[in-house]
Amino acid sequence: MTTTAAPTICSPWLGEIRLHPDCEIFFPAGLPGFEDERRIAPVEIPAQRPLVYLQSVESERVCFVALPVYVIDRGFRLEIPEEERALLLLPEGRDPIIGEDVLCVLLLMPSGDSVQVNLNSPVVINLHNKRGAQIVRPGAPPAGYRLSADNGWTRLC
Amino acid sequence: MLVLRRRPGETIAIGADIEIEVIEISRTRVKLGVRAPRQVPVMRKETLAVAAENRQALELASSGPAGVAEVVEALRLLGAAAQASG
Repeated sequence: MTTTAAPTICSPWLGEIRLHPDCEIFFPAGLPGFEDERRIAPVEIPAQRPLVYLQSVESERVCFVALPVYVIDRGFRLEIPEEERALLLLPEGRDPIIGEDVLCVLLLMPSGDSVQVNLNSPVVINLHNKRGAQIVRPGAPPAGYRLSADNGWTRLC
Repeated sequence: MLVLRRRPGETIAIGADIEIEVIEISRTRVKLGVRAPRQVPVMRKETLAVAAENRQALELASSGPAGVAEVVEALRLLGAAAQASG
């Protein structure tokens, strides 16, 4: 009997990661600025929850750090434009439910000695088909929030 | 700015290699098709800002474990504060 070894990535930031094929997410359009990164694996480190790393399967040096949107805004309402809805193959006429139909995370950007996020450009993963896309809302100004240990998440003007 | 009037099915040429076709017009939106060489990036303008943010985001993981550890610690303190208050 032969077994197929799970593919591994040697990430400079996370070390060697053994990938279960079911964990890989297909981003048909990549991410803005990283259009060629179409295979991305979410990686969790238990001691660092709720952080999620989005590690490219194809480019070891491409790795984002993300947080589930609920950590920043429990009342977040997900609006998915037509273009991203098509990429995610979401059915028309029904808004997906975060946690049931989709995962919704925000990429963390370094900002001085802290980090910030843009609530208007979440990365959405369709849990039913493992497809992903980053939302770009037409005409929506960036909704930036910055993390501080003293004041929590504060809206950037 | 050059302003042109076009109907669905009609096109605009930009140089020799780029064509923009009006596919459909609805009450509030216009659907456009773009034919351009592969090396010419074509995207909605708002995507440019998100691309710049993503390039900035890439720096966090590459800043090494220390930067991420500070975030984890800040989140831990926030979680503890939230539990204590409620």
